[in-house]
Amino acid sequence: MVALARKTLIYEWRRFLPAILAVGFAGLLQLLQAALVLGIFGSASVYITGSSADLWAGYPGTQSVNLGRSIDSGVEMRLRMDPAVTAVEPFHWVDADWRGPSDTGGVSVFVSGINARPDGMLFAHALPPALRARLNEPDAVIVDRADLDSLGVKVGNSAVINGHRVRVVGVSSGLRALGGVNVVASLATAAELDTDPSNANRMTYFVAKLRNPAAADDVAARLRGNGAFGKYDVWTAQDFARRSQLYWMFDTGAGAGVLFLAGIVFLVGAVITSQTLVAAVIGSVREYATLNALGVGVGALRRVVMEQAFWVGALGLVGSTVLGAIALAIARSRSVPVALDPWTTLACLALGMGLAIVSGLAAMRSLRRADPATLLR
Amino acid sequence: MSAQPQAMPTVSLQARNVTKSFSSGPIHHTVLHDLTLDVHAGELTLISGPSGCGKSTLLAILSGLQAADSGHVMALGQELGVLGMRELERFRLLHTGFVFQGFNLFPALNALEQVELPLSYLGLPPGEARRRAVASLEEVGMGPRMELRPSELSGGEKQRVAIARALAKEPGLLFADEPTSALDAANGQIVIDILHRIARTHGTTVLCVSHDPRLVGHADRVLAMEDGRILSDRVPSATLTSGHEEPSA
Repeated sequence: MVALARKTLIYEWRRFLPAILAVGFAGLLQLLQAALVLGIFGSASVYITGSSADLWAGYPGTQSVNLGRSIDSGVEMRLRMDPAVTAVEPFHWVDADWRGPSDTGGVSVFVSGINARPDGMLFAHALPPALRARLNEPDAVIVDRADLDSLGVKVGNSAVINGHRVRVVGVSSGLRALGGVNVVASLATAAELDTDPSNANRMTYFVAKLRNPAAADDVAARLRGNGAFGKYDVWTAQDFARRSQLYWMFDTGAGAGVLFLAGIVFLVGAVITSQTLVAAVIGSVREYATLNALGVGVGALRRVVMEQAFWVGALGLVGSTVLGAIALAIARSRSVPVALDPWTTLACLALGMGLAIVSGLAAMRSLRRADPATLLR
Repeated sequence: MSAQPQAMPTVSLQARNVTKSFSSGPIHHTVLHDLTLDVHAGELTLISGPSGCGKSTLLAILSGLQAADSGHVMALGQELGVLGMRELERFRLLHTGFVFQGFNLFPALNALEQVELPLSYLGLPPGEARRRAVASLEEVGMGPRMELRPSELSGGEKQRVAIARALAKEPGLLFADEPTSALDAANGQIVIDILHRIARTHGTTVLCVSHDPRLVGHADRVLAMEDGRILSDRVPSATLTSGHEEPSA
C-alpha cells in the first residue's frame, strides 16, 4: 500500500505546518491551563496533601479545609479507641491578622498549630524534621519562602499576630495556601494566638494515621455519626482534599472560566486546523478526482484525509508534550504552583486529537469537489 | 457501420440514442443529440471536433463518469445506466483507465508509487502490484526514471507516467482526454504512439478525445463531432491496411 497520506504530509510539510502548530499550541494551552488550575487550586488543600494523615475529623459539612469550625476535644478519644488507628494528632486552625516589621498593612493569615514532634503528621511532607523541631521555641513560626515578600519579613524577624509577638525561625516550600498566607506554629503558640474564648477545650481538626491506609474509607464510615462527643464528621484525606479544591474552583467561578477558555482554545484551534486541511485537500483535488476516475472509492479518499488529520494531530501533540514539559519544569523552578496528573494530561491530549479529528471531518467535506467529470473539458 | 460488419472487431463500447443537456438558470443547452455509436476493441478511436462540440461530455458518459439524460450505454457488455455510484466506482476500478490533459500526479509520490497507488486498491498482493507497475512504466519507456517525482519530470514524461498509471490496471477500456494538448510535437507524437500501441498489443479499447489535428494520422478511426452530433466516421488512409488486417494476422 502506497502511504499517500504520510508521503504527502512529509513532502508538503509547509502546507500542513499551520495545522500542526495550531494543534500543538491548542494542546499546550490546555495542558498549561490545566496544570495552573490544578496547581493553584491544589494549594487550597495543601494542609491535607502536605500531611501524612489518613483520616480527618472536623465539623460536619465543612466544605473546605480553611472553613473549619472547632469540635469537641473528646473526639480525639473516640479516634484513639478504634483499633485501626495508630496515631491521632490535633490541628489548631486560627484565622489571624498579621502585622510585619515593614509597612505591609494588615495581612490575613491562617495559623496552623501543629504537633512539632519529629513524627508529627501535619505538614510531614513540607517540613524537614530539623525545621519542625525549631517550632518548639516559644512564639516561633515558619512560613513559605515565596510568602516572605507579602509578609514583609526575613528569617529571624519578628512580627505581630493578633497582638501577640512571633518570630520567623525558618522558611520552607510547599506551604503556600489559597485565600491567605499560611503560617505554621506549634500547638502551644497557636493556642496563644487564638483570641476566641469559645475555642477553649476545642480543636479545629483531629487527624489520624491508620494501620492500613487502604482501609481508610471503611474506618471513616465506622467513626462518623457518633453523637457522644458532639457534632463531628470523619473524612478520608483524599476526599477532604478533593472537596476543598472543588469548593475553591467553583466558589471562585474559576471552574467555569477554565471550561470557557478550553472551549475557546478548541474552537480557534479547530478553525485554523480545518482551514489548513481544507486547503490541502483542495490543493490535491485534481489528483483525488483522477484516483476516483480510476475507481478508487470516495471512502478510500476520505480515509486518506482522516489519516492526514490524525498525523497532524499526533505531530502537534508531540510538540505540546515536549513544550509543556519544558514549561512545567520552568514553572516549578520558579515556585509557580503547577500540578498535572496523568489523567488530566491524557484528557488534554485527547482534546487536542479530537480537535484534529473534527478538523479532518470538516476537510473531508471538500472532497465533494473531487468529481472526476470536472477533469474533462 | 453496419455496411461492413464482418470486418469489424468486437464492439466493446456502445451508445444508443444518448442525449445530454445542461441548464444554467433559464438557459437550456443540449450537448448531445440522440447520439448512437459503436467503439471497437483493439483500436484507437479518435473523437475530434471544435471545443464545445460535446466530445468531452460524450467521453464522460461513455466512461461512466456522468449519467446520460436518456439512452443507453453498454461498456464491456455492462449497462452503465443501472449501476449505482459504488458499482460504477467498482466498474471503473476493474475495467477503465483514464489519461487527462493535466497529468494530475501527486507531487509527493515518485513515478513508481503513482502507478502502484491505484493498484493497491485493486487488492493485488504488494509484490504483484510492484511487478505490474514496473512493467507498465517500462512499457511507456519510463523504466529508468521511475524513482523520480513529478517535479523532476518533463511534461511528456509526466504524461507517460499517467498513461502507465492507467495501463497498469490492465483495463479493457482506456479513455484519454486531450492527452497531447499540453505537450510539444515530439512528446505528443510519443504519447499518441504509446496509446496506439496499447490498443494493438493489449486489445484495449482506446477512446481518445482531441482537437489536435496531428493525432488524426495515428488513429485507427476518426469521428468528427460538431454541435453534439457525429458528422463523419472515417478510417484514415495511413492506418487503413494495418488497422484491419492485424486482428486476423
